[in-house]
Amino acid sequence: MMDVIQQLREQAKKLLEEKKVDLVIGFGQGTELARTTPVFIDSPEGVSKLTWGPFCANNLAKYLTDYKNAPGNIAVVVKGCDSRSINRLLDDNQISRDKVVIIGVPCSGQLEWQKVSAEIKPGASLKEVVDNGDSVSVKTDAGDYKFDKKDYLLHRCLVCENPNPVVSDLTIGKEQPVKNYEDRFAEVQALEQMSTEEKNAYWDKQFSRCLRCYACRNVCSVCTCQTCVFDQMLPMWVSKRTNLSENTAFHLTRAFHVAGRCVDCGECDRVCPMDIPLRKLNQKIHKDLGDLFESPTPGTKPGLVSPLGEFSPGDPEEFM
Amino acid sequence: MLKRLLEYVGFEPGRFQARWISGSEGAKFTTTIKDMTEKIKSLGPNKKMRDDIL
Repeated sequence: MMDVIQQLREQAKKLLEEKKVDLVIGFGQGTELARTTPVFIDSPEGVSKLTWGPFCANNLAKYLTDYKNAPGNIAVVVKGCDSRSINRLLDDNQISRDKVVIIGVPCSGQLEWQKVSAEIKPGASLKEVVDNGDSVSVKTDAGDYKFDKKDYLLHRCLVCENPNPVVSDLTIGKEQPVKNYEDRFAEVQALEQMSTEEKNAYWDKQFSRCLRCYACRNVCSVCTCQTCVFDQMLPMWVSKRTNLSENTAFHLTRAFHVAGRCVDCGECDRVCPMDIPLRKLNQKIHKDLGDLFESPTPGTKPGLVSPLGEFSPGDPEEFM
Repeated sequence: MLKRLLEYVGFEPGRFQARWISGSEGAKFTTTIKDMTEKIKSLGPNKKMRDDIL
Protein backbone atom coordinates (compact mmCIF):
# COMPACT_ATOMS: atom_id res chain seq x y z
CA MET A 1 0.00 0.00 0.00
CA MET A 2 2.76 2.39 1.00
CA ASP A 3 4.79 1.73 -2.14
CA VAL A 4 1.71 2.38 -4.27
CA ILE A 5 1.41 5.80 -2.62
CA GLN A 6 5.15 6.36 -3.04
CA GLN A 7 5.05 5.44 -6.73
CA LEU A 8 1.92 7.51 -7.28
CA ARG A 9 3.62 10.59 -5.88
CA GLU A 10 6.82 9.97 -7.85
CA GLN A 11 4.96 9.52 -11.12
CA ALA A 12 2.76 12.55 -10.49
CA LYS A 13 5.82 14.62 -9.63
CA LYS A 14 7.59 13.49 -12.80
CA LEU A 15 4.57 14.32 -14.96
CA LEU A 16 4.27 17.79 -13.45
CA GLU A 17 8.02 18.54 -13.52
CA GLU A 18 8.36 17.45 -17.13
CA LYS A 19 5.32 19.62 -17.94
CA LYS A 20 3.58 16.62 -19.47
CA VAL A 21 0.52 17.59 -17.47
CA ASP A 22 -0.63 20.81 -15.80
CA LEU A 23 -2.94 19.14 -13.34
CA VAL A 24 -3.09 15.85 -11.47
CA ILE A 25 -6.45 14.71 -10.13
CA GLY A 26 -6.09 12.12 -7.40
CA PHE A 27 -7.22 11.04 -3.96
CA GLY A 28 -6.14 12.97 -0.86
CA GLN A 29 -6.64 12.31 2.82
CA GLY A 30 -9.97 13.68 4.01
CA THR A 31 -11.03 15.22 7.28
CA GLU A 32 -11.74 11.84 8.79
CA LEU A 33 -9.47 8.85 8.84
CA ALA A 34 -11.68 6.65 6.71
CA ARG A 35 -12.41 9.33 4.14
CA THR A 36 -10.61 10.60 1.10
CA THR A 37 -11.30 13.69 -0.92
CA PRO A 38 -10.45 14.49 -4.53
CA VAL A 39 -7.30 16.64 -4.77
CA PHE A 40 -6.27 18.81 -7.69
CA ILE A 41 -2.51 19.27 -7.84
CA ASP A 42 -0.86 21.78 -10.16
CA SER A 43 2.69 21.91 -8.81
CA PRO A 44 5.34 19.23 -8.11
CA GLU A 45 5.43 20.31 -4.44
CA GLY A 46 1.79 19.37 -4.04
CA VAL A 47 2.17 15.67 -4.81
CA SER A 48 2.58 14.77 -1.12
CA LYS A 49 -1.17 15.32 -0.89
CA LEU A 50 -1.75 12.21 -3.00
CA THR A 51 -2.81 9.06 -1.26
CA TRP A 52 -4.19 5.62 -2.00
CA GLY A 53 -5.92 3.00 0.08
CA PRO A 54 -9.14 1.13 0.65
CA PHE A 55 -11.14 4.36 1.11
CA CYS A 56 -10.79 5.80 -2.40
CA ALA A 57 -14.35 5.28 -3.55
CA ASN A 58 -14.84 8.38 -5.75
CA ASN A 59 -14.88 8.09 -9.49
CA LEU A 60 -12.45 10.87 -10.43
CA ALA A 61 -13.09 10.48 -14.16
CA LYS A 62 -16.12 12.70 -13.54
CA TYR A 63 -13.86 15.74 -13.09
CA LEU A 64 -12.33 15.38 -16.55
CA THR A 65 -15.46 16.87 -18.10
CA ASP A 66 -15.12 19.91 -15.81
CA TYR A 67 -11.58 20.48 -17.06
CA LYS A 68 -12.03 19.55 -20.70
CA ASN A 69 -11.62 23.14 -21.87
CA ALA A 70 -8.77 23.99 -19.50
CA PRO A 71 -5.37 24.58 -21.12
CA GLY A 72 -2.79 21.82 -20.73
CA ASN A 73 -3.06 18.13 -20.11
CA ILE A 74 -4.56 16.40 -17.10
CA ALA A 75 -3.51 13.26 -15.28
CA VAL A 76 -6.17 11.35 -13.40
CA VAL A 77 -5.96 8.45 -10.95
CA VAL A 78 -8.48 5.73 -11.76
CA LYS A 79 -9.54 2.34 -10.44
CA GLY A 80 -10.85 -0.40 -12.72
CA CYS A 81 -14.45 0.74 -12.48
CA ASP A 82 -13.51 4.39 -13.06
CA SER A 83 -11.47 3.46 -16.11
CA ARG A 84 -14.68 2.29 -17.81
CA SER A 85 -15.89 5.89 -17.45
CA ILE A 86 -12.79 7.08 -19.31
CA ASN A 87 -13.50 4.77 -22.24
CA ARG A 88 -17.07 5.99 -22.25
CA LEU A 89 -16.08 9.69 -22.13
CA LEU A 90 -13.65 9.10 -25.00
CA ASP A 91 -16.33 7.34 -27.06
CA ASP A 92 -18.74 10.20 -26.37
CA ASN A 93 -16.08 12.71 -27.55
CA GLN A 94 -16.30 14.40 -24.17
CA ILE A 95 -12.53 14.34 -23.67
CA SER A 96 -9.68 13.90 -26.10
CA ARG A 97 -7.27 11.05 -25.54
CA ASP A 98 -4.12 13.14 -26.01
CA LYS A 99 -5.24 15.53 -23.28
CA VAL A 100 -5.39 12.95 -20.49
CA VAL A 101 -2.76 10.84 -18.83
CA ILE A 102 -4.48 7.91 -17.13
CA ILE A 103 -2.82 6.61 -13.99
CA GLY A 104 -4.45 3.24 -13.36
CA VAL A 105 -4.36 1.61 -9.95
CA PRO A 106 -5.56 -2.01 -9.63
CA CYS A 107 -8.02 -2.20 -6.75
CA SER A 108 -9.03 -5.09 -4.51
CA GLY A 109 -12.22 -3.35 -3.39
CA GLN A 110 -13.11 -0.21 -1.53
CA LEU A 111 -14.49 -0.13 2.00
CA GLU A 112 -17.63 1.68 3.02
CA TRP A 113 -16.41 4.51 5.20
CA GLN A 114 -19.59 4.71 7.27
CA LYS A 115 -19.17 1.14 8.42
CA VAL A 116 -15.45 1.56 9.14
CA SER A 117 -15.83 4.94 10.83
CA ALA A 118 -18.32 3.42 13.25
CA GLU A 119 -15.52 1.13 14.49
CA ILE A 120 -12.61 3.59 14.62
CA LYS A 121 -12.21 5.93 17.56
CA PRO A 122 -13.24 9.46 16.55
CA GLY A 123 -10.28 11.79 16.11
CA ALA A 124 -7.79 8.98 15.54
CA SER A 125 -5.15 9.76 12.95
CA LEU A 126 -3.97 7.33 10.36
CA LYS A 127 -0.53 5.77 10.49
CA GLU A 128 -0.68 2.89 8.09
CA VAL A 129 -3.16 0.90 6.03
CA VAL A 130 -2.21 -2.62 5.05
CA ASP A 131 -4.24 -4.63 2.58
CA ASN A 132 -3.96 -8.34 3.46
CA GLY A 133 -6.17 -9.59 0.66
CA ASP A 134 -9.24 -10.73 2.59
CA SER A 135 -8.78 -8.23 5.38
CA VAL A 136 -7.48 -4.72 5.91
CA SER A 137 -5.34 -3.66 8.88
CA VAL A 138 -5.55 -0.02 9.84
CA LYS A 139 -2.97 1.36 12.26
CA THR A 140 -3.83 4.58 14.05
CA ASP A 141 -2.42 6.48 17.00
CA ALA A 142 -5.43 5.31 18.99
CA GLY A 143 -4.91 1.61 18.36
CA ASP A 144 -4.91 -0.89 15.55
CA TYR A 145 -7.93 -2.23 13.74
CA LYS A 146 -8.51 -5.16 11.44
CA PHE A 147 -11.48 -5.31 9.08
CA ASP A 148 -12.79 -8.39 7.36
CA LYS A 149 -13.11 -7.12 3.81
CA LYS A 150 -16.30 -8.86 2.77
CA ASP A 151 -18.28 -7.29 5.63
CA TYR A 152 -17.03 -3.76 5.02
CA LEU A 153 -16.70 -3.58 1.23
CA LEU A 154 -18.86 -1.24 -0.78
CA HIS A 155 -21.79 -3.12 -2.20
CA ARG A 156 -20.61 -2.68 -5.78
CA CYS A 157 -17.13 -4.04 -4.98
CA LEU A 158 -18.53 -7.44 -4.00
CA VAL A 159 -19.28 -8.16 -7.66
CA CYS A 160 -16.49 -6.26 -9.42
CA GLU A 161 -16.02 -6.76 -13.14
CA ASN A 162 -12.75 -4.86 -13.60
CA PRO A 163 -10.46 -4.79 -10.57
CA ASN A 164 -7.75 -3.73 -13.02
CA PRO A 165 -8.03 -0.60 -15.17
CA VAL A 166 -9.25 -1.32 -18.71
CA VAL A 167 -7.42 1.70 -20.08
CA SER A 168 -4.33 3.40 -18.65
CA ASP A 169 -1.08 5.04 -19.63
CA LEU A 170 0.74 3.82 -16.56
CA THR A 171 -0.32 1.27 -14.00
CA ILE A 172 0.77 1.36 -10.39
CA GLY A 173 0.46 -1.64 -8.11
CA LYS A 174 -0.19 -5.37 -8.39
CA GLU A 175 -2.81 -6.81 -10.71
CA GLN A 176 -5.92 -8.05 -8.86
CA PRO A 177 -8.06 -11.15 -9.54
CA VAL A 178 -11.74 -10.90 -10.61
CA LYS A 179 -14.09 -12.28 -7.93
CA ASN A 180 -17.80 -13.22 -7.81
CA TYR A 181 -18.57 -11.43 -11.07
CA GLU A 182 -20.98 -14.19 -12.16
CA ASP A 183 -23.29 -13.28 -9.23
CA ARG A 184 -23.62 -9.66 -10.29
CA PHE A 185 -27.31 -9.80 -11.16
CA ALA A 186 -28.44 -11.87 -8.16
CA GLU A 187 -30.24 -8.95 -6.54
CA VAL A 188 -31.92 -7.85 -9.76
CA GLN A 189 -33.09 -11.40 -10.35
CA ALA A 190 -34.53 -11.60 -6.84
CA LEU A 191 -36.50 -8.41 -7.48
CA GLU A 192 -37.70 -9.65 -10.87
CA GLN A 193 -39.12 -12.74 -9.19
CA MET A 194 -41.41 -10.65 -6.99
CA SER A 195 -45.07 -10.10 -7.85
CA THR A 196 -46.19 -6.80 -9.38
CA GLU A 197 -47.62 -5.69 -6.02
CA GLU A 198 -44.41 -6.52 -4.19
CA LYS A 199 -42.27 -4.69 -6.74
CA ASN A 200 -44.59 -1.74 -6.57
CA ALA A 201 -44.44 -1.63 -2.77
CA TYR A 202 -40.66 -2.03 -2.79
CA TRP A 203 -39.98 0.78 -5.23
CA ASP A 204 -42.63 3.10 -3.78
CA LYS A 205 -40.86 2.78 -0.45
CA GLN A 206 -37.55 3.65 -2.10
CA PHE A 207 -38.68 6.49 -4.35
CA SER A 208 -40.83 8.14 -1.68
CA ARG A 209 -37.67 8.82 0.34
CA CYS A 210 -35.96 10.75 -2.46
CA LEU A 211 -35.06 14.34 -1.54
CA ARG A 212 -34.42 15.31 -5.15
CA CYS A 213 -30.96 16.53 -4.17
CA TYR A 214 -29.67 15.33 -7.58
CA ALA A 215 -26.46 13.98 -6.04
CA CYS A 216 -26.91 10.86 -8.18
CA ARG A 217 -26.95 12.98 -11.31
CA ASN A 218 -24.11 15.26 -10.24
CA VAL A 219 -21.76 12.39 -9.47
CA CYS A 220 -22.54 10.47 -12.64
CA SER A 221 -19.59 10.34 -15.02
CA VAL A 222 -21.78 9.86 -18.08
CA CYS A 223 -24.21 12.68 -17.19
CA THR A 224 -22.59 15.20 -19.49
CA CYS A 225 -25.50 17.27 -20.86
CA GLN A 226 -24.76 20.97 -20.54
CA THR A 227 -28.36 21.72 -19.65
CA CYS A 228 -29.90 18.90 -17.71
CA VAL A 229 -33.52 18.01 -18.39
CA PHE A 230 -34.19 18.19 -14.64
CA ASP A 231 -32.91 21.77 -14.41
CA GLN A 232 -34.77 23.03 -17.43
CA MET A 233 -37.71 25.29 -16.60
CA LEU A 234 -39.12 25.81 -20.09
CA PRO A 235 -40.45 23.30 -20.86
CA MET A 236 -40.42 21.69 -17.45
CA TRP A 237 -40.41 18.01 -18.38
CA VAL A 238 -40.32 16.79 -14.80
CA SER A 239 -41.77 18.92 -12.02
CA LYS A 240 -39.55 19.81 -9.08
CA ARG A 241 -42.16 18.82 -6.54
CA THR A 242 -40.97 16.13 -4.19
CA ASN A 243 -43.69 13.53 -4.17
CA LEU A 244 -43.87 9.87 -5.03
CA SER A 245 -45.19 10.41 -8.53
CA GLU A 246 -42.59 13.01 -9.54
CA ASN A 247 -39.79 11.13 -7.81
CA THR A 248 -40.67 7.98 -9.73
CA ALA A 249 -40.63 9.98 -12.96
CA PHE A 250 -37.25 11.45 -12.02
CA HIS A 251 -35.64 8.12 -11.21
CA LEU A 252 -36.97 6.30 -14.25
CA THR A 253 -35.89 9.16 -16.51
CA ARG A 254 -32.45 9.31 -14.93
CA ALA A 255 -31.89 5.56 -15.19
CA PHE A 256 -33.14 5.40 -18.76
CA HIS A 257 -31.20 8.46 -19.84
CA VAL A 258 -27.92 6.73 -19.01
CA ALA A 259 -29.09 3.35 -20.38
CA GLY A 260 -26.43 1.91 -22.64
CA ARG A 261 -23.88 4.45 -21.41
CA CYS A 262 -23.91 3.76 -17.66
CA VAL A 263 -20.61 2.02 -16.85
CA ASP A 264 -21.93 0.55 -13.59
CA CYS A 265 -19.45 2.41 -11.42
CA GLY A 266 -22.09 2.52 -8.67
CA GLU A 267 -21.39 6.12 -7.65
CA CYS A 268 -25.08 7.17 -7.76
CA ASP A 269 -25.90 4.42 -5.32
CA ARG A 270 -23.00 5.32 -3.05
CA VAL A 271 -23.70 9.06 -2.81
CA CYS A 272 -27.46 8.80 -2.24
CA PRO A 273 -28.09 10.37 1.19
CA MET A 274 -31.32 8.38 1.49
CA ASP A 275 -29.74 5.04 0.56
CA ILE A 276 -32.00 4.47 -2.40
CA PRO A 277 -30.60 1.41 -4.21
CA LEU A 278 -30.21 3.24 -7.53
CA ARG A 279 -27.79 0.69 -8.86
CA LYS A 280 -30.60 -1.87 -8.92
CA LEU A 281 -32.29 0.27 -11.57
CA ASN A 282 -29.15 0.66 -13.64
CA GLN A 283 -28.26 -3.00 -13.24
CA LYS A 284 -31.69 -4.06 -14.45
CA ILE A 285 -30.94 -2.14 -17.63
CA HIS A 286 -27.50 -3.75 -17.88
CA LYS A 287 -29.06 -7.17 -17.49
CA ASP A 288 -31.66 -6.51 -20.19
CA LEU A 289 -29.05 -5.07 -22.54
CA GLY A 290 -27.05 -8.24 -22.04
CA ASP A 291 -30.07 -10.52 -22.50
CA LEU A 292 -31.53 -8.74 -25.54
CA PHE A 293 -28.47 -7.42 -27.33
CA GLU A 294 -25.63 -9.46 -25.80
CA SER A 295 -24.11 -6.12 -24.96
CA PRO A 296 -21.14 -6.02 -22.55
CA THR A 297 -20.89 -3.43 -19.78
CA PRO A 298 -20.32 -0.04 -21.46
CA GLY A 299 -16.73 1.15 -21.23
CA THR A 300 -15.16 -2.28 -20.78
CA LYS A 301 -13.61 -1.90 -24.23
CA PRO A 302 -12.85 1.23 -26.25
CA GLY A 303 -15.14 1.93 -29.18
CA LEU A 304 -18.16 -0.03 -27.91
CA VAL A 305 -21.38 1.27 -29.48
CA SER A 306 -24.48 1.25 -27.30
CA PRO A 307 -27.16 -1.05 -28.72
CA LEU A 308 -29.61 1.76 -27.98
CA GLY A 309 -27.51 4.16 -30.06
CA GLU A 310 -27.49 2.22 -33.32
CA PHE A 311 -29.79 0.10 -35.44
CA SER A 312 -28.96 -3.42 -36.42
CA PRO A 313 -31.23 -5.65 -38.53
CA GLY A 314 -30.76 -8.38 -35.94
CA ASP A 315 -32.29 -6.33 -33.09
CA PRO A 316 -35.17 -7.99 -31.25
CA GLU A 317 -38.42 -6.35 -32.37
CA GLU A 318 -40.99 -7.03 -29.71
CA PHE A 319 -43.07 -4.02 -30.75
CA MET A 320 -43.70 -5.07 -34.35
CA MET B 1 -36.12 -1.91 -22.55
CA LEU B 2 -38.45 0.75 -21.14
CA LYS B 3 -41.30 -1.77 -20.85
CA ARG B 4 -39.05 -4.10 -18.87
CA LEU B 5 -37.89 -1.26 -16.62
CA LEU B 6 -41.46 -0.12 -15.93
CA GLU B 7 -42.56 -3.63 -15.05
CA TYR B 8 -39.49 -3.94 -12.83
CA VAL B 9 -40.58 -0.97 -10.73
CA GLY B 10 -44.11 -2.29 -10.32
CA PHE B 11 -46.21 -1.40 -13.37
CA GLU B 12 -48.54 -4.25 -14.33
CA PRO B 13 -47.36 -6.24 -17.37
CA GLY B 14 -49.33 -4.90 -20.31
CA ARG B 15 -49.94 -1.46 -18.83
CA PHE B 16 -47.33 -0.02 -21.14
CA GLN B 17 -47.37 -1.21 -24.74
CA ALA B 18 -45.52 -0.05 -27.82
CA ARG B 19 -46.35 -1.04 -31.41
CA TRP B 20 -44.92 -0.04 -34.74
CA ILE B 21 -47.79 0.53 -37.17
CA SER B 22 -47.37 2.04 -40.60
CA GLY B 23 -49.85 4.56 -42.02
CA SER B 24 -51.09 1.97 -44.48
CA GLU B 25 -51.82 -0.69 -41.86
CA GLY B 26 -55.33 0.39 -40.89
CA ALA B 27 -56.51 -3.07 -39.91
CA LYS B 28 -53.49 -3.65 -37.67
CA PHE B 29 -54.15 -0.33 -35.98
CA THR B 30 -57.78 -1.29 -35.26
CA THR B 31 -56.96 -4.68 -33.77
CA THR B 32 -54.05 -3.31 -31.76
CA ILE B 33 -56.15 -0.56 -30.22
CA LYS B 34 -58.99 -3.02 -29.50
CA ASP B 35 -56.60 -5.44 -27.79
CA MET B 36 -54.92 -2.64 -25.91
CA THR B 37 -58.21 -1.20 -24.65
CA GLU B 38 -59.37 -4.62 -23.52
CA LYS B 39 -56.11 -5.28 -21.72
CA ILE B 40 -56.10 -1.92 -19.96
CA LYS B 41 -59.77 -2.28 -18.98
CA SER B 42 -59.06 -5.64 -17.43
CA LEU B 43 -56.19 -4.13 -15.45
CA GLY B 44 -58.41 -1.40 -14.05
CA PRO B 45 -57.37 2.17 -13.27
CA ASN B 46 -53.66 2.87 -12.99
CA LYS B 47 -52.51 3.49 -9.43
CA LYS B 48 -48.89 4.33 -10.04
CA MET B 49 -47.50 7.82 -10.61
CA ARG B 50 -50.76 9.62 -10.04
CA ASP B 51 -50.75 13.23 -8.99
CA ASP B 52 -53.51 12.82 -6.40
CA ILE B 53 -51.45 10.28 -4.45
CA LEU B 54 -48.94 12.35 -2.58
